[in-house]
This record gives sequence, structure tokens and C-alpha cells, in this order.
Amino acid sequence: MTASLQIGRLLRSTTSDCVIGCRASELNVPVFGGMVRIPLADGTQIYGLIHNIQIEDDGLIRQLITSDNVSEDVLLDNRNNRNVPVEIGVIFVGYAQNGRISHLLPPRPPLSLDEIFTCMPPEVIAFTGSGRFGYLRHILRAEDLPQAELLAAHIQQAGQMHHAHGSPGWVEAVTRELVTLLRDDYDRLMSVLSAIGDVNLS
Amino acid sequence: MTYNPENAPEKPLGYVVGGSLKDSLSVRLTVPPQEVKEGSFVVIESGDWRFYGTVTDLQLGSTNPRFADEQSENRLPPQVARLLHGQTLFTNLQVLPALMQEVGPDPASPEYDHWRSQHPDDSGLQPQPVKTVPAHHALVRGARAEDVANIFGEPSPRNFVIGYTREQNLPIPLDLEKFVQRSSGIFGATGTGKSFLTRLLLAGLIEYNKAATLVFDMHNEYAYDDIASDTKEVVPGLKTRFPGRVRVVGLGAGASIRGQSPDFTLTLAESDILPEDIEMLTRELNLRETTPATLEALWQSFGRNWFSEFKKMRNGAMEEDPETGKKVPAADSVAFWANHAGVNVMAAEGLHQKLTRLFNKPYIVPNPPQDSLAEIIKLLVDKDQNKHVILSFGDHETDLDYLLVTNLITRRIREEWEKRTNAYRSHPQNNPEPRPLVVVIEEAHKLLNREMAAQTAFAAIAREMRKYYVTLLIVDQRPSQIYDEVMSQLGTRVSAWLGDEADISAVLSGLAGRDALRGMLARLQPKEEALLLGWGVSLPIVVRSRRYDLRFFEELRGAQPPSRSADDAIRELFG
Repeated sequence: MTASLQIGRLLRSTTSDCVIGCRASELNVPVFGGMVRIPLADGTQIYGLIHNIQIEDDGLIRQLITSDNVSEDVLLDNRNNRNVPVEIGVIFVGYAQNGRISHLLPPRPPLSLDEIFTCMPPEVIAFTGSGRFGYLRHILRAEDLPQAELLAAHIQQAGQMHHAHGSPGWVEAVTRELVTLLRDDYDRLMSVLSAIGDVNLS
Repeated sequence: MTYNPENAPEKPLGYVVGGSLKDSLSVRLTVPPQEVKEGSFVVIESGDWRFYGTVTDLQLGSTNPRFADEQSENRLPPQVARLLHGQTLFTNLQVLPALMQEVGPDPASPEYDHWRSQHPDDSGLQPQPVKTVPAHHALVRGARAEDVANIFGEPSPRNFVIGYTREQNLPIPLDLEKFVQRSSGIFGATGTGKSFLTRLLLAGLIEYNKAATLVFDMHNEYAYDDIASDTKEVVPGLKTRFPGRVRVVGLGAGASIRGQSPDFTLTLAESDILPEDIEMLTRELNLRETTPATLEALWQSFGRNWFSEFKKMRNGAMEEDPETGKKVPAADSVAFWANHAGVNVMAAEGLHQKLTRLFNKPYIVPNPPQDSLAEIIKLLVDKDQNKHVILSFGDHETDLDYLLVTNLITRRIREEWEKRTNAYRSHPQNNPEPRPLVVVIEEAHKLLNREMAAQTAFAAIAREMRKYYVTLLIVDQRPSQIYDEVMSQLGTRVSAWLGDEADISAVLSGLAGRDALRGMLARLQPKEEALLLGWGVSLPIVVRSRRYDLRFFEELRGAQPPSRSADDAIRELFG
């Protein structure tokens, strides 16, 4: 990966999260827990984490599934030309304005059809390494998300980047911060930590 | 926070998280608990103030009991478990603050000049008893050498090093000047090094030489070289090491102490013994309630010669009345005197019989060749001679000997020092200030128990003789048996390990923070560790006591500051 890849366009959004639509054929790029950015017209970059990828059905698929066999052509046609997009849920974790990274929510949400890009390692490192992990607040507040899994996926991806770029202590620091934030909630902390325990950085 | 620039700031032990002045401070430990021990001397840096205290307890805690209950290290990878435990499981120190001191801001900081202008000299910046608490999150560190020197003083002949801190091996001195100003005590169960501590202190006192010492050496331990019961090493005797300053007095003519002859012997004149000396022996001699009346009658009949006159009487002697031919008490019999003095015959005969034990004591003689009691007092009084006296009991090691002789001497001492002090107070220009005297009593509970305390001179000394320049150094293994009125008067207390709860309470009686100190005393090492408390030490501290051996005397003589040697290191490593 040499440059940010566009993964889709905005379907709908609020100040704290958004849903992106993309074609099924483009689905090889976004990953669960991956970090994305949404450039706004004024130059602000909104950062978010992918917490959900949802593939809706349509009437044709219902019919195809009940048919005896689905030919390769039909399969490809359905994947490339279907008119219901894959929906990608993104939770906002911060923004950058004039080169300054903030872990607060963006001042306003992006607009429909704004383009969404994957983040490159330097961007991930700059965002996750700035401040004192304030962006974890947004994940821990959203109780309907699979927090433990999301955090583990995020730590796995960002941790590898930090590791490769000379700050191997990042995973330890973020884990310590999570323990601090969650130590009054035994159940949640233990599920987060056991998910982090499954992270493999090698 | 003010750090001495010469010392790189070391890692703090933790930070204050709570507590109160009344109980103690809670400190969250940020280093492994093994690095801090109960009894450690710690310093709390709180803004412009520095607090000094003692660790009295360590407690395991957790933010949520479930973190402590469940062994999460089995569920989580080691590094994650370590991070979890680092924040949810912790150790709290209980620190008993004792002193506080204003140290001002960092000399390099801009506030320093303003602060200095308000505090032009260092008066008022001395450590003072703690009256407030440090702030939350104030950092706590182990005491450094300069803190120890600041609080306990630099080692010197006056500041006698009695031991070393357990962690950093820093010398802890005892202020001998203060030590002798009030009565003090050395306690410890048998075999915990009590008599070594006593020897150490006596050597320090004799070397410093500001006060005379009189040791009642019941078991003949202190004067001449001895063999340690456990290590079988030679224990230097005080007479051996201070031949010019120490006079050994043996009890009874021809006494020999560990095969050596004493400098002179003590024999008591029969006229030295007063009725109250006998009354004090009531329990020891199993005397009856009628005794005081009989003694009073004896005193009335014979005055100071009562003892020899009574001794001469024959108990039960009868003779035939030439006129009537009846058997009547002989003229030199006890009954004859009793009848004439109007005393119950049975009571007098009973007393006579019980006093036989005293009549037979070889060290009580009608006319001693010299007044050795006066000789002892002369040695102790004379400032120019600088002598110290060890009274060895030789073969007379029974409680009866000990009680009688110590009380007799102490009574004389009390009279003498009261006389001299009053003379000095009335005419300071004509009379010299009396030489302070420390009377060392072994097995003190025999003399200072609840029943005896009122009758012996010792209780009075402990209570009020401070004004007359006489103090006691009590050495005992059962402090709970000592009358609490005496215990509460003790200034400095040095205690080795004690097991009995009552003994521990007795040693701590009258001290602030005794609940916190109780555990420290109970968990001292059974050997070579002692807790220093009270007037002569600025704050309670546990020390590893100094070795009493030949090297100790070399250091004492050379006045070199005692330092850590290879032997110490080996001993620490291998026990």
C-alpha cells in the first residue's frame, strides 16, 4: 500500500458515527477495526474506526439462494453490479484540523457522498500516538459495539504499525490506559483484556 | 520537591493516598514490597515541608476484590496480567509520621529567594513533632544518609551509634546526653541480645564519660571477658577494655569474679542495715504482718545497732530462775527482749528465725575493715577520677542478696546526691554540680514490681531523681512485671524482641502511636535487632544492633565513623 485507498462514500452520519456504502467488489480493502479518514471540504480530516461491515440482501439474492445452482457468471454479476451497497459502520474517534490532532468528536459530521479513505501507517501512528489515548473514550462509551473485539482488532493493527516504526511500547501503554479506564468494571475489563491477550503482534 | 543536587533523585517508594495524624498515613507503594520493610525510616516530601516517619505496616489491597480473588494470570498472557496487576493490585504502607521540618522550595527555583528572605537563618527550621499531614500524592522515599544524620545526628562520642538501619545500613546514633537525663530501659526476651545491647550502651557511656555508671551485675557478666553462649566467641569485658575507668567491686570479702579478683570488695556493716531494708524483703523472706511492729521495737531498743543486737540474741534460750526454779527465757534470748520491749514473743522469735538467712550472710559483718559503701560513692561522685563501678555479686546470686544490697546502696546514693544537689542549688559558687549518675539494674522487675516499687529507692529515683542527677537504666526481660508508674517515666526505651503481649504493651506504655508500634516490636528478628523509642531518639526506629566485639572497641577508640565492612556484607548475605 503506497497511498490511501478510497473505500466508499458516505451514506449517513451523525456527530459520533457514520455509515459508508461501498461496492461488494471493493470489500477486500476495509477491515474490522481498521482506521479510516474522511476529508471535509475545509481541510478537516475526520478519523474513525470500522466497527461493523454489513451486507444487505436484495430480492434477487433471495431468489438466487433458493435456486439449484448459481453459475459463476451470475455470482460475479451479482457481486459487481448489485445495486444494494455494502454498509460499513464507522465510529468517529477524532479529527485533525490544520495539522493538529484532536481526540474529541469532529465539529460537524461529513456530508453524504463524501469520500472515505483508509489510513496509512504514518497517519495511524500520528493519531494513536498523540495525546494520552483520549480516543478510547468514544469506543468505551458505545456500549452496543463489540468493544473488546474492536479494541483488540485496533490494537493488533495499530500495534503492528507502532512496532514496525520504532515504538514497541505502544501496546503496553494502551493496555495500561484501558486498565485504568476500566478497572472499576471487572467484567468489561476482563473481556477487553482477554481479547487483547489474543492479539498477536509477530 | 527539594532534592540534594549531589544525589540523583532516587526512585520514590510511593505516594501518600490517605491517612490521618491520629492513626497513620497510607502510602501506595510503587516498588516491589520486598524493597520496604516494617520499621524502615522514610521521608515524605510535601511541598516546602518534609515529614519523617516509620513504616509500621504493609497491607495488600485491590481496587476491586475480584481482582484479588481470581488468579487472572492463569487467564491472561503474562504481560497483560502484569499490566492488570500493576494497577489493580497494590501494596499500601502504613507510615507513622513522627517529625516534620520546613525545608523551603528548591534553591534553584524562583520562589526560593522570597522564601529565604522570610527565613533569614535556619532557626525554626529544625525538625519538630508532627502537627499536620502531608498532601495527597506527596512522594515517599527511603531515608538517605543525610536524613538520618539530620534527624539522629552525626555519629560522635555523644551521638553513640547503637545500630544500623536494616535497609541501607546507615548508622543510627543515640544521644547519650539526653539518654542519661531521664531513666531509660533495655528490654527483650531472654536470648535476644539484651545484655549485648546493655554492654554496648555502657561502653558508649563510659567512653563518653559525662555520667558515672553504677552497674549491679547480678550475673557477673559485665566486668571481665566472657564467652558468648551462642557463638562461643570472647565477649570483651568492660573492665578489660576500660581498665583505668572501671572499678570492679566484688560482694563479700575474698570474692572472686570469673576467677579474677575485683579491685576491692564490698562488705556491709551491720549498722548499715535499717528496718526498712528488712521490710522490703517481706516477700523474699516470707515475713509476717507483725514484722514492722517488731522491727520498730528493735529500733527503739537498740537504734542503729539493732541488727547486731538482734543477731546476738539466742532464739529460744531458757534458763532456770534461781529463785523459783522455773524455766524462764534467758537474759540474752529473743523472748526476754520481747517481753521487756512489749512485743509478741512468737512474732519476735519468728522474725529472728527468718532473719537467720541474713545473719549468716558473710558480706554482712559487725565491723568492716573499711567503709566500702562510702568508697563506692566516692568513686562515683568524684568528677576528676572519672570512675565507673561494676558491682559483681560473685557467688551471692540469690534474689535476697540482690534485693538487699542494691537497695542499701541505692538508698545511700539517693541521700548523697540529694545532699549534693541541694548544696549546689543553694550555693552554686561553693559547691560543684553533682556528677550525673546512671544506676544500671538487671532483672529490674525484682526490684520494681508493683509490691516492691513503693518500698525500694528505685521507684523514687525513676520518678523524681532526675532533678538530683540520678537516673536508672533498667534491664529486664519481663517489662510487664515492672510497676507501670515506673515504666511510664522511662525516657528512652531500647527493646529487642518480645513475645508476650503484656510485655509489649508495657514497653510502649505512654508513647504516641503505640498501636502502630506494637506489631513492629512483635516482629523484630529474635536476635540483633532492636526498636529504639522515646526521648533519646527522635523517632521510633528499628535497628540492626551493632556488634559488640573487638572491632567495636577499635572504632570507639579511633572515633572513626563506623562503616560497613566486608564482614557485615557477608553476614547480610548469608545470615
